[in-house]
Amino acid sequence: MKRLLKYMKGYTLQAILAPLFKMLEATFELLVPIVVAKMIDVGIQGADRDYLVKMSLLLALLGAVGFGFSVTAQYFSARAAVGFAAKLRHQLFKKIHCLSFSDIDGVGTATLVTRITADVNTVQNGVNLALRLFLRSPFIVFGAAVMAFTVDSRSTSVFLLTILVLAIIVYAIMFISIPVYKKVQAGLDRLTAVTRESLGGARVVRAFGREAEAKEKFDSTNGMLNRFQRLAGTVSALTNPLTFVVLNGAIVWLIYSGAVRVEAGLLSVGAVVALYNYMSQILVELVKLANLIVTLTKGVASGGRIADILDHEDEKTGSDTSDAEVAVEFDNVSLSYKGTDEKSISNITFRLPLGGTLGIIGGTGSGKTTLVNLVGNYYPAREGEVRVLGLNVASWDSEMLRDKVAYVPQKAVLFCGTIRENLKWGSESATDEELCEALKTAMAYDFVMAKEGGLDAYVNEGGKNFSGGQRQRLTIARALVKKAPVLILDDSASALDMATESSLRANLKALSWSPAVITVSQRTSSVMHCDKIIVLEEGAAVGIGTHRELMECCEVYKEIYRSQFGEEDVK
Amino acid sequence: MKGTLKRILRYIGKYKILLLLSILLAGVTVALSLYLPTAFGGAIDAIVGEGKVDHEKLLGSLIPAGVAIILCAVLQWVMNVVNNALTFGVARDIRRDAGAKLAKLPLSYIDSHPEGETVSRIISDVDQFTDGLLMGFTQFFTGVVTVIGTIGFMVAIDWRIAIAVIVLTPMSLFIAKFVASNTFKMFSLQTKTRGEQTAFAKEMIENQKVVRQFGRKDENMERFDEINERLEKYTLKAVFFSSLVNPSTRFVNNIIYAAVALSGSLVIVGGGALSVGGLSCLLAYATQYSKPFNEISGVITELQSSMACAERVFELLDAPEEVADGDDVPGKTEGNIVFRNVSFSYDKKTPLIEHLNLEIKAGQRVAIVGPTGCGKTTLINLLMRFYDVDEGEILLDGVNIKDIPRKELRSSFGMVLQDTYLFNTTVSENIAYGKKDASMDDIIRAAKDARVYGFVKRLPKEFDTVIGEGNSQLSQGQKQLLAISRIMTGIPPMLILDEATSSIDTRTEMIIQEAFARLTEGRTSFIVAHRLSTVKNADVILYMENGNVLESGTHEELLALGKGYARLYESQFN
Repeated sequence: MKRLLKYMKGYTLQAILAPLFKMLEATFELLVPIVVAKMIDVGIQGADRDYLVKMSLLLALLGAVGFGFSVTAQYFSARAAVGFAAKLRHQLFKKIHCLSFSDIDGVGTATLVTRITADVNTVQNGVNLALRLFLRSPFIVFGAAVMAFTVDSRSTSVFLLTILVLAIIVYAIMFISIPVYKKVQAGLDRLTAVTRESLGGARVVRAFGREAEAKEKFDSTNGMLNRFQRLAGTVSALTNPLTFVVLNGAIVWLIYSGAVRVEAGLLSVGAVVALYNYMSQILVELVKLANLIVTLTKGVASGGRIADILDHEDEKTGSDTSDAEVAVEFDNVSLSYKGTDEKSISNITFRLPLGGTLGIIGGTGSGKTTLVNLVGNYYPAREGEVRVLGLNVASWDSEMLRDKVAYVPQKAVLFCGTIRENLKWGSESATDEELCEALKTAMAYDFVMAKEGGLDAYVNEGGKNFSGGQRQRLTIARALVKKAPVLILDDSASALDMATESSLRANLKALSWSPAVITVSQRTSSVMHCDKIIVLEEGAAVGIGTHRELMECCEVYKEIYRSQFGEEDVK
Repeated sequence: MKGTLKRILRYIGKYKILLLLSILLAGVTVALSLYLPTAFGGAIDAIVGEGKVDHEKLLGSLIPAGVAIILCAVLQWVMNVVNNALTFGVARDIRRDAGAKLAKLPLSYIDSHPEGETVSRIISDVDQFTDGLLMGFTQFFTGVVTVIGTIGFMVAIDWRIAIAVIVLTPMSLFIAKFVASNTFKMFSLQTKTRGEQTAFAKEMIENQKVVRQFGRKDENMERFDEINERLEKYTLKAVFFSSLVNPSTRFVNNIIYAAVALSGSLVIVGGGALSVGGLSCLLAYATQYSKPFNEISGVITELQSSMACAERVFELLDAPEEVADGDDVPGKTEGNIVFRNVSFSYDKKTPLIEHLNLEIKAGQRVAIVGPTGCGKTTLINLLMRFYDVDEGEILLDGVNIKDIPRKELRSSFGMVLQDTYLFNTTVSENIAYGKKDASMDDIIRAAKDARVYGFVKRLPKEFDTVIGEGNSQLSQGQKQLLAISRIMTGIPPMLILDEATSSIDTRTEMIIQEAFARLTEGRTSFIVAHRLSTVKNADVILYMENGNVLESGTHEELLALGKGYARLYESQFN
């Protein structure tokens, strides 16, 4: 929680004023039993009606002033908590845009979404309640003890003992129930995962007729959650009855010992009533405090999780830019992912000039995507140097670097919004003419124009209202809008038929800014026209050269070719 | 709102006994806790002054008080446990219904609703609803009983003062109502805006790579902050309004307290039938009296936001389901398929498939090719009844597939899709998905047939390695191979291979194709592919464009025809 305090800045005043006003309110509340004691001892004993009326008005006044303070406090506290939460969300979202991809992979996107939504919410509730009650409750509890001391110093020990016992009870229950609450949370997480599966895997579940099993899995997870919830509830349900017993027991003792001392002439009846009232105030306050503690522990836990995210190091970035002639250069580059020593890419060296074309081919899992991810510095190389436009990618300003490298991933991702909005990701300033140009190059113009609204046609979440091939062509168009000097197509034409793909290839060749194009594919037909082809197997280059050269001397390449074109074509 | 309440009550109705018990216990515990101030008042009256303490009366009040305290605490705990069982039970039941609903939602619903939204209805909305319900039970009943009980005890002590208290009460209710109506409005705005923000954050977080690639940080922050600001505004109002409940009712209570103190002490001074103990007892009641109002109004706001949540869950439960199942269980599936005058489109505005007629004989290998977006996958969607035809009919062995139970129909197809979905469980369980009670031998054989055995053996825990969607240790191609192994465990009479090998390298694919060739032998099978080398050997090739089958015949026939298919085929070699 401490780590998050700095985001309270800007709300410091509110965060101080809220509990302060709460304390003022509490002070006025603490005065009430004294006034009542006076009414009994002075007003009633002396049968002074004017005094009684005056004191009653004072009581009403105390209430009114307290109300004013309280409303002010509630406002400040809401302001601080809500503002703090908004700031946290902002910081988190910003942070997510700066995390390195190994960290994003490690934390998981689903978790990041939870942090920015549910966790921030829990923190907000925690802060709000803390500001309102966390100072107020102890203040009332100890204030009541202090006031009791002023009324009757000998009863202080009873108050202190009561408070101590109560503290132990509350602490013990927390100690037992927090692990159970964690289990509840884990149960919820599991249920979430199962629900996701039922939705995301709907086609598979239904194709295999496994609806009943899916439902059974859901039910058993659901049932488990229920058992944990009830267990947690049973434990925390102890708080109220236990505090009730302790406090009322203390009241019994106060009245009894008070009676003894009144008899001995050491105490007034009004004082006994006042002591009794103070103990009752503690009771009311403690019930609130107990509820607060659950919310607060939840808030602290969420806060810790948020701070963990914010504490991650940012993606490393340099600050230089460059415009050299050599588009991409790999110098003996190796890479292994976090947590393994196994090299995903080993000792790759090549050079790709502006306007040149490079093909990367290889089997499933041979490291093709990993290799091109190095170009945009999405993962840093472990050995060797990757240079883009002559400058080591580690020294590049990340944003500038990615602006120079247009990357079209295997999985075609589109965003909610219109086609125009999606395309404009490439360049905010692009004109409709430029967008259409890109669409034409990407062979997407015709189907976009056939849609109602053309460029203004709506793209649903994940682009679900487009076919796989259409999505791919739209993502290619989006990348073209950038007019970047390096264009990487990572198997991004896999859902296109051959005719469309070959037209696309021709269009790319004719681009006015002649970018260096890296084409990743499993099909020889997609890369055979490239100036240079790298054949990858298990992360290593087993062949580099032109189609003709590779057909001469690279066994793997020949085999791939044969598997696609048949025996006779090899000759 | 009324309908929502009724449905909630129906869910609660299942726990009648617990409900009665809860109400009963609430009554008893409240009665006991209300008895306490009377007992304490009696004890205080026993203390008259110096040397004047009636010990018999003192103990006569304090001892029963002690018994009441303990009894009340025990019953309170039991009541809490009962309330937990009740509310968590209701949550479980609603979730169970929602879980069952998931299996009945038509694919069109799943395809058109963001996954996160549906998940949050089942998880967080039910959670928040339960919180509200639990508060309702723990505080609402006890609150109401306390109010009534307190009034009763007050009347018993001094009816004049009791009336003064009752007259002041509506003030509290009035404030509560004002707060509640304002809060509800803000809460719904807040919930809506939060949903919007979550959807946006989720989309951008899940596609961070693309976001970075296009350097969209600033634009994203701008959009996020815009939503964030709105959310902040609504949340502030919602939180502030709802937090007014406590101070307001406390204020009303303080006024009542002052009134009781004044009128009570005046009655004593005037020689009325009220003692100091009676007054302290009345004051204790006055303190307790407003607390339930606090709680009741708190519960009302909480219930209102939880009602909004319940509404969202019920919306999901009310979503239209797949149309009722047929019950015409066919005998042995031969595999004759006829499309008769079939029309279908997704958004009903843009026509896709129109008046399609097809006849496929049992055991035929059918390849479907054509440019992207021509409706290949749609045909599969219709065959599997993921979507139902708008017009016309599809017959399987002469029976309209609408008359066959979906489960039967689907189980007669083995399906591998381009979009492989693996479940978040072990490799072996994923492979065994195709056949209930598949043995380890079956699994290993399937793994070998689908060429996954090798890489599975290299996984950290081999067949027990947990994989899943969020898991990035498998490449797309490996996932696809696993999806293929799924149908290898229990081979159904018909097969659908929709771009089943699109992410697999061609060398592996060649080996898989051999397995497929064995599989499809004598089975009606549909193969969608853009690699024409994989469809050459089909018995029938259907060439589609814009939802229509333009050409059909064997590879040689279509090449000889020299139209669309031939052009597509030629383009491979340019």
